[in-house]
Parts: sequence; C-alpha cells; structure tokens
Amino acid sequence: MSLTKPRKLLAIGLLLSLGLAVAGCSSSPASGTDSSLSDVTSKGELVVATEGTYKPFSYHEGGSGALTGYDVEIAEAVAAKLGVKAKFQETQFDGILAGLDAKRFDVVANQISINPDREKKYDFSKPYTVSSGVIVVKASNDSIKSFDDLKGKTTAQSLTSNWYKLAQQSGATVQSVEGWAQSVALLQQDRVDAVVNDKLTYLDFAKNTPNAGLKIAAETTDKSLSAFTLRKGSTALTEAINKALADLSADGTLSKISKKYFGTDVSK
Amino acid sequence: MTWDLIWSSLGPILLGAVQATIPLALASFALGLVIALVIALMRISGNVLLSGIARFYISVIRGTPLLVQLFVIFYGLPNIGLKLEPWPSAIIALSLNVGGYGAEVIRAAILSVPKGQWEAGHMIGMSRAQTLRRIILPQAARVSLPPLSNTFISLVKDTSLASLILVTELFRQAQQIASVGGDFMVLYLEAAVVYWVICLVLSTVQSLLEKRLDRYVAH
Repeated sequence: MSLTKPRKLLAIGLLLSLGLAVAGCSSSPASGTDSSLSDVTSKGELVVATEGTYKPFSYHEGGSGALTGYDVEIAEAVAAKLGVKAKFQETQFDGILAGLDAKRFDVVANQISINPDREKKYDFSKPYTVSSGVIVVKASNDSIKSFDDLKGKTTAQSLTSNWYKLAQQSGATVQSVEGWAQSVALLQQDRVDAVVNDKLTYLDFAKNTPNAGLKIAAETTDKSLSAFTLRKGSTALTEAINKALADLSADGTLSKISKKYFGTDVSK
Repeated sequence: MTWDLIWSSLGPILLGAVQATIPLALASFALGLVIALVIALMRISGNVLLSGIARFYISVIRGTPLLVQLFVIFYGLPNIGLKLEPWPSAIIALSLNVGGYGAEVIRAAILSVPKGQWEAGHMIGMSRAQTLRRIILPQAARVSLPPLSNTFISLVKDTSLASLILVTELFRQAQQIASVGGDFMVLYLEAAVVYWVICLVLSTVQSLLEKRLDRYVAH
C-alpha cells in the first residue's frame, strides 16, 4: 500500500512545513481587546484545567468519586464570586500549559508555582498557596541530606513542573513521568533515588500511606508561591480573580478550605 | 525564529529516532515475528491444547490496549517482585503485541496457499515440515508482506508510547524541548513529520520487497 504519488507527497510536505513556520509565528498573544472576562461571563462558566491525580490539591474522592481537592474548591469559590460555574477539564500535567496556550481552558488551578520563566509566558493571579519543596527518599537512604547531594542521583518528575527544573539545577538526572503516583512508584521500586515535590503533597501522602517507607531528606529554604495561571493578556480575568481571592481571604473562606485539607492555613 | 527552533530541535529529535525509536521498532519486530510464527503454527496445528493457548494469547493481546500492557509490565510487575528496566519492558510489550497481530496475519497467509501445494509436496516425498518450510512458507511470506508491513508501520508509531515508561525516544525528545520553550505546536508537528518520513521510507521498502518476492508466487 503506497501512500500517494511522490510528487503529490512533496507538495503536501511543503505545505506542512509552511504550516509549521506559521504555527511558530502565531504563538504571540493576539493584539486587540481583552475579552478574557467577558468570554467567561457570557459563557456562564469558568473552564479550569487541573490534573485530577494530584492529592490533596486535585483528586477524586476515594479514587473514583467526585473531583475535589484544595485547588478545586478554591477554583469553585472563585468562580462563584465571579457569578459563574467552574467547569473542570482534567488534563495530564505536561499537557496543561499547552492546553492553556491552545485556549482549551481559561485558567489552570493545579499548584502552578510562580517563577520568572513562566511569568514571561503567562499571567498569574495572586498566590493562594505558600509552600516549599522537599526531597523525598526511601527511609533507608542516608546518602541524600541536601539539594547538593542530588548531584549524580536520579529523580522522577513531571517534565513541565518547576520541581523538574529544581532537580535538574541540583545536578540530578531526571526521569520524566506523568505525575505524583508514577514518581512514588519509581521511588518505592528503587528505580530512582529521589523525588522532588511539594511538601504539602508529600505530607498528605504520608498521612494516608503510613507504610510507604519514604521520608523527607531536605527542604527548600525559599517558599514557593502557587497561583492560578492564565494566558498572557488575560488582564481583565486576572484582576477579577484577584478581587475574588481578596474577598475570599477577607471572609475566611480560603483559610477554611485550607484548614480542611492541611489543618493549617497555607493560603498566605 | 521558528526555523531556528526547527533546526535546533531536529538534531535531538533525530537522535531520539536513531537511538531509540528505530532500534526499538527493529528489535521488537524481529522478536515479534518469531513469536507470531510460533503462535500461528500452534493456531493451525491439530493439537487442541496448542491451538487453544494460541487463541487465548491472540485474544488477550488484541483485546487490551498497548498502553495498558506497557504499564502492567513496567509499573505492575514490580509489585510481584519482577522489576525490568525501561528498555526490556518496552521491547517485551511491543514484541508481544506484534506477536498477537502478526500471528493472525501469518495464519491467514498460510491458509491462503492452495491445498494442492501441500499435496504436491507430499507426492514428491516431502514431510509436512519440509513442505511447510520449502513450499508453503515462501509463498505465505509474499502474501503476508503487505499486512505485515502494516504491522511494522503501526509498531514504529506505537514506540511513542514507550516515552511513558522512561524511554527517551523521538517523541519524548520533542516533549522535553517543548516543555522548555512552550512551542508545542512546532515541536509536535516536527515529531509528526519525522515519524511520517520514517513510515514513507518503510512504504518504499515494502513495494521494492513486493516486487522481489513476486518470484515465489505461483502463476
């Protein structure tokens, strides 16, 4: 079965290459009016991307129940303040920012940490989580006590996460996986030496899985701030979300949601 | 700017193809063909037990997603004490997969050779095994070439799933570059074009092979 005639193929190939070139040029934000907020209000829904596999921020009750979690509840509260419903799109972490670029969602709520690289490409709301990063290792592993000790070690991270960058900068060889579950599996199976992730994620995991045989080896000194992530130029929607967050902070909603999941207020 | 990105990322993507995608496909196909031939012969043998095992195997392979098979082998087996590295896991899963699909192709090809050919072999004093090897299989090979090429082309594309079990192949290289700069469209399309070119080459090889093997067809 030959595909088609060679000359025709060449033509198609050329067209496709042109398409590639054009695709690269169109990634800059569209100029003109900012309809980010009016789009949401006219739809009556805020489309939110989240993993659905990242406990306790975004997960399914009991594994197969309703979508819930710290980020999910905050997104719902914010949407309610905007007078719309939150509609969640569950997306693998490495596809989340690509999907945002592709206008599949209005906003990402999945513990996206604010960092300079991301600020160049995306708009961030005010942070709603203050946490830190930790190195998680097997309880029997005493060779890693600091981020410097990651040099030459292997860790498992999501490709597009800030923990991936942190592990890489510390000199580790990084294996990319889809999410927290796989990274823990690889760690427990001795296929990687360590996992770098959010302290809150680990603490929740340790609480629910007391016999996991893992421990915290080190913690970052700087705090990481997580916020809603929006496409560049979504100024109106970002401002509306910030106002909603300020209101939710003032009326105690944020700290109530936080205490429900973490026992303390991690929202500021 | 975009062209620069395409050029600069072409190296790593092609490296992923040469270091992983292509060897992974070749190794899995070679191993998979052996499995396929064995399973096909079991399937057409008169032995009820053998053909039953073959039927069961084909049914499981064709009835479950390759991604699930990969995850069972890589993430699942360690739970029962068998831990395989990414590469062996990928080769095992892919070749078992080829074995399942290829077995049906080979079985159909063997059955498509006219019954008279068996009788002719028997007439000149050949055993069943000799007839199979010298008369039936060469003709079946020609018949099975197009569908087996299909299987191989599918396999080349299926190797992209190995990126999910830590094999740094073509697609994962593209993913890694995309995750840094955020140019998803360009890099995914670029990866797609590279897969496409590999499959075009394979299609060409297929038509050349078909012409060569026409000698074995009884006219």
